[in-house]
Amino acid sequence: MINFTEAILVIILLSVLFSLGSTRLLALVRIMVLQGVAVSLIPLFLKDHGTLGSGPIIFFQVMILIKGVLIPALLYLAVKRVAIKREIEPFIGYHASIMTGLVIILVSVFITNHLRLSLPTGQATLLIAAITTMASGFFLMMARKKAITQVIGYLMLENGIYLIGTALTKHSHTLYIVEFGVLLDLLVGVMIMGIILNNINTAFDDVDTTLLGRLKD
Amino acid sequence: MDTFLLSLIVLFAGGIFSLLTYRQFNLMKGAYIAITAIGCLAGLFSIMTPLQEPSVVVTFSRPWLHLFTLSFTLDALSAFFLIPIFAVCPLAVLYSFHYMDKADRKGSTGVNFFFFNILIASMALVATADNIISFALVWEIMSISSFFLVIYDYQKEETRRAGYIYFIFSQAGAMFIFAAFALAYSRTGSYDFAAFAGMPGTIKIIVFFLALVGFGSKAGIFPLHMWLPHAHPAAPSNISAVMSGVMIKMGIYGIIRLYAVLDVTDLIFGQTLLTLGAVSGVLGVVYALGKHDLKKLLAYHSVENIGIILIGAGIGMIGIASDNMVMASFGFAGGLLHVLNHSIFKSLLFLGAGAVLQKTKTRHIDQLGGLIKRMPITGKSFLIGSVSISGLPPFNGFVSEFLIYYGAFHGLTLSGSSFIFTMFGIISLAIIGGLAAACFSKVVGVVFLGEPRSENAAMAVEAGGTITLPMIILAASCLVIGIFPDPFVQSAFSGMRAIKVLVPVTAPEVAIVTANLALAARLFLGMLLFSLVLRKIFYRNKVIERGPTWGCGFTQPTVKMQYTATSYARSVINFYRPFVLIRDSYSGISRIFPGRTTYETRVDDIAETALTDQVVTPILYLLSKFRWIQHGHIQLYIAYIVVTIIVLLLFL
Amino acid sequence: MESYLSLAIAILAAPLFPGIILKVKAFFAGKKGPPLLIKYYTLAKLLQKGSVYSNSTSFVFTLGPTVSLASALVVLLFFPFAGADPLFSFHGDVIVLFYLMAIGRFFTVIAALDTASPFEGMGAAREVFFSTLAEATIFTILILFYRLNGSLSFAEYFTGENPISLAGASGALLLFAIVSLFMVLLTENSRVPVDDPATHLELTMIHEVMILDHSGPDLALIELGAFYKLFFYSAFITHLMYPFTLAHGISNGVIFYIIIAIIYGAVGMTESIMARYKMNLVPKFILTSFALVFFAAILTMGVFQ
Repeated sequence: MINFTEAILVIILLSVLFSLGSTRLLALVRIMVLQGVAVSLIPLFLKDHGTLGSGPIIFFQVMILIKGVLIPALLYLAVKRVAIKREIEPFIGYHASIMTGLVIILVSVFITNHLRLSLPTGQATLLIAAITTMASGFFLMMARKKAITQVIGYLMLENGIYLIGTALTKHSHTLYIVEFGVLLDLLVGVMIMGIILNNINTAFDDVDTTLLGRLKD
Repeated sequence: MDTFLLSLIVLFAGGIFSLLTYRQFNLMKGAYIAITAIGCLAGLFSIMTPLQEPSVVVTFSRPWLHLFTLSFTLDALSAFFLIPIFAVCPLAVLYSFHYMDKADRKGSTGVNFFFFNILIASMALVATADNIISFALVWEIMSISSFFLVIYDYQKEETRRAGYIYFIFSQAGAMFIFAAFALAYSRTGSYDFAAFAGMPGTIKIIVFFLALVGFGSKAGIFPLHMWLPHAHPAAPSNISAVMSGVMIKMGIYGIIRLYAVLDVTDLIFGQTLLTLGAVSGVLGVVYALGKHDLKKLLAYHSVENIGIILIGAGIGMIGIASDNMVMASFGFAGGLLHVLNHSIFKSLLFLGAGAVLQKTKTRHIDQLGGLIKRMPITGKSFLIGSVSISGLPPFNGFVSEFLIYYGAFHGLTLSGSSFIFTMFGIISLAIIGGLAAACFSKVVGVVFLGEPRSENAAMAVEAGGTITLPMIILAASCLVIGIFPDPFVQSAFSGMRAIKVLVPVTAPEVAIVTANLALAARLFLGMLLFSLVLRKIFYRNKVIERGPTWGCGFTQPTVKMQYTATSYARSVINFYRPFVLIRDSYSGISRIFPGRTTYETRVDDIAETALTDQVVTPILYLLSKFRWIQHGHIQLYIAYIVVTIIVLLLFL
Repeated sequence: MESYLSLAIAILAAPLFPGIILKVKAFFAGKKGPPLLIKYYTLAKLLQKGSVYSNSTSFVFTLGPTVSLASALVVLLFFPFAGADPLFSFHGDVIVLFYLMAIGRFFTVIAALDTASPFEGMGAAREVFFSTLAEATIFTILILFYRLNGSLSFAEYFTGENPISLAGASGALLLFAIVSLFMVLLTENSRVPVDDPATHLELTMIHEVMILDHSGPDLALIELGAFYKLFFYSAFITHLMYPFTLAHGISNGVIFYIIIAIIYGAVGMTESIMARYKMNLVPKFILTSFALVFFAAILTMGVFQ
C-alpha cells in the first residue's frame, strides 16, 4: 500500500510549489500550516527510527503545536491587525517563481545524487525535499517585497533545516535540543516582527521592505 | 548514377534555354517548365534504386584541374534528401507560370529561371558530394544561385537589404564550414569524407561544432536564423517555397552527413543538437506568433520546424550514445521524415501565401480576411497545410512528430542527464505543437475566415490554374503521407543506414508502428465521416437560416471589430516575454475632444536586436574610424596594392 | 463483448454526470437544482431545432462541431473503461489521442474565427493560449507514467501486470499526477476556476463564447463532444485512484461509476467554493499543474524506482 513517508514528502513538496505560486498572503499562511504539520510528522514515519519514547512524543506534539498553530496564528494576527494588503507583491513574477521552483528541485536531485551520503533507502527523497524546501525558502525571502513574506520564507527555510536534521541523524537528543532552540528563536522572531510591523504601521503607512531601504544613510 | 547525371544535364539545359529564349515569354515559360519537370522526374527515377536497396552505393568521380578529384556518391541518405529536391522543385516551377507573369520583366524572369535550375542542380550535387572539394564547390554554387533568386525584385531597397543580409550569413557560414574542412584536411591529409573517421576524438568535436555553425546558419538554427525572416518575404513566393522547403534542409543534410562520416558516439553531439532544436523550435514559433507579415511568419515557422528536425536528430544521437537503438532509430527516422514533410507543407504554405499576395497585394494579415470564400482552392489547401504543419493527425506533420515522440519516450529509461535532456525534448515538442496550432489557427482564421478587412481582400479572386494545381498536389500528399505512412517511414529508415554506428530496428517492427498510426488516422477519418452523417441526419428536412453574426447585443458591428491577429497572439507572446521584445507606443488621449490617436506594437527577435546592438553597432563605430583609408584617389589605391604585394612577398 | 458493453455504457452515460455538477452547485447554493437528466433533455431539445448560420461563415463553421465530436469519440474507443479491454489499443496511442483532441480544438477555434465576431475571436485566443500550456502538463504526465511502468497506451497503463494506481509501488508520486490532472481537467473542460460556463458576460468566457453562433444540432454535437471529453478526463483520474484489475465485471463497473460521480462532485464543489481566476492568473494555475507533475517526474530519477 501507499508509503506514508513518501506521501507526506509529496505533500511537503506540493506545499513548497503552491507557496511559490500563491498570490494571497492568507493562502500562503494556510500553506505554511500544512507544511509545518507535515514536516513535524515526518520523523514519526521514518522506518529506522524505531519506537519512540515518551520524550520525543511530547516533543513532536509541541512541534506540531508551534509550527501548525502558534506561528501561523501569529502570522494571521499580523496580517489582520496590521491590515496588510492581501496581495503578495513579488519582485520576481509568479511564472518565473514556479519555473525557479522547477530548477530548484532539479538541482536538489543532482545535489543529492552527488553527495552520495549513505542514506537509508527512501531517505534520499527526504534529502531532496529538504534541500528544495530550504532553497525555496531562501527564494521566497529574496523574491517577495513584504516583510511578512520574508518571515514566511524564513519559516520555510527552518522547515527545510529540520528535514535535513531528521534525514541525517538518528533519534539523538542533541537534534531536538538544537531544533527546539531554533524553533523558539523563530517564534520570538515572529512575535518581534509582529510588534515591529505593528509599530511601523502606526508610524508610517506602509510595510513594504523596499521603503525600508530608504532608512540607510 | 547515369540517370542522375542526365537529369542534372537536362536541368542545366532548361536553365540555358530560358536565358536564350526569354523574348518569347509564354513559350519560354511553357517549354522551360516542361524541361525542368522532365529533368526532375528523371532525378526521381534515378533515386528509386538506392532508396529501395540501401546497400547499393554508386559513385561518380572525375579529376579537376589536375589537382583535385570531384567525387559524388549516391547512397540512401543522399537519395532521401533528393526526394524533396526533385519532388517539390518542379511544382514550384509549374507555379511560376502564372505567378511570374510580369511581361515587362521578361529578361529578369529568364535569369531567375536560369538560377532556379542551377539551384536545383547544385542542391542535388550537395546532397551527393563525397569529398571536401566537391562539397565546397557545389555548396558555394548553391548559396550564390539562391542569392540571385532572392534579389529578383532588386529595384526595391528592402529586397536588396534582404539579399545583402542573406549573402553575409551564407558566406560567413560557409567560412565556418571551410574552416572545419581545413582543420580536418590538416589532420587527415585526404579530401575524402571517408577519411574523417580516423581523426582523434577532440578534433572531431571541434570539426563538428565549427561546421555546425555553418550548417546552422544555412538551416536557420536559432540564433543564426536572422536571414530567414528577411530573405523569404523579399524573394518571390515560389523561390521562398523552395528555399524554405528544400534548400535550408541542406544544412540539416550537412549536419547528419558529417555526423555519419565522423563516426562518433559522444553524448555531447546529441545534447547540443537537442538543446539547439528545442530553443529554435519554441522561439521560432513564438516569434512567428508575433509576426503579422504572412511570409515573415512562415519564415519563422521554418526555424521552428528546423528545431523539430534537430530535436529528432538530437534524440537519435543521444540514443546512439547511450546504446538505445529503438530511441536512436525512431529519433532519426522522425527527424528525416520531418525533412520531407516540412518540404511539402512549407512549400504548400508559401505557395498559398504567394497566391494571396498576388491577388490582394497585401502582406499584413490584419488587412486580410474572408479569403476562403473568394479563393476556395487556395483557402482549402492552405487549411490542409496549416493543419499539417501544426503536427495534427491525420496529416503528415503528425507522423514525423509521432516518430520523434516514440523515440524520445523510449529514451526515458535512461538515467541522469540523458533523461533530463530527453524529457526536455518531449516537453518542448509538446509546447511547439501547441503553439504551432495556435499560430496557424491565427493565420487561417484571420486571413481566410471571417470578413475581409480591406478593399483589396474583398476584391480578391482565385488564382490561375498553374498556381492552384501545385497546391492541390501538395495538399493531397500531406493527407496521403498521413494515411499511408509506411513507405515514407521505411524510406526514412533506409536513409539513415548511412550512419554506421546505428543499428536500426527491423522493417517489420517499423511496419507495426506505421500500421498503428495508419489505423488511428483511418479511425479518426471514419469517426469524422460518422459525425458528418449524423449531422446530415439531424439536419434532414430542416432549413438553415442565415443571419448576421451575434454581436452580443451590439447591433452595428463592422468588420473592423473582428479580432485581429495582433490581439489574438498578444497574450501568448506576453507569456514568453523575457525572450521576446514587445514594444508598444500609444499616443494617448490628451484633450477633451480627442484627435487622432495611434497605437503601434511591434514584436522583435532578441537575437536580432542583440546582434544589432552588441555586435554590429560597435563594429560599425570602430570601422568608421578607418574611413580615411577610403578617400577616392586612384593613385593612392594603386599605392595600396603595391605596398600589399611587397609586404606579402616579404613574408611568403 | 465486455469491451463493447463498457464502451456503450460510457457513451450513453456520459451526459448524465454533468447533471451531478449542477446538483452539487445547487446544493451549495441552497437550491433544488435542475433534474439529474437535464443534459439529456437539453440534447433532445437541441436536436429538434433548426439552425441560424451567420452570413460570414463558410464550410469551416460546420466542421467545428463534427471534428470535435469525432476526436472525442476516437479517444473513447481507446480507453479501458472500468478495466475492460478497449476496442483498439497500441503502443503509443496516448500520443495520438492527445493530438486528436488538439485537432478537435483547432477546428472549434477556427470555426469560432469563421463567424467574424470579436467576442468569439477573444475566446479562441484564450482557448489556444491555455491549451498550449496544458499540453506541456499532459506530456509531462505521460513522461511520468512511462517512467513508472514503461508503457505508452491507456490499456497498458491500467490493465497490464503493473497498473499505474495510487495503491501501486510509487503511489505517492501519483498524488502529484492526480492533482495536476484534475487541474488540467478543469482547464481543458472550461470549468471554474479557469472558465465559468455559467457566466452571463461574453467578455469573461472562454469556451462558451467560442460557440455562441452555433445552434440546434450543431450545438448538440459540440455539447456531446464536451461531455465525452470531460468523461474521458474523469475516467483517467478514476483509474489512477483505483486499480480495476482486482475484481471483475459488475463490481468494477459499479466502483468505476461511483468514483466518477465523486470526481464530478469534486468539480461541482470546486465551482461552488472557488471564484473564477482573473485571466492573467490562469497561466499561473496551469503552470502550477505542470510544475507538480514535473516534480514527480524528477523524483523518479534516483529515488522512487
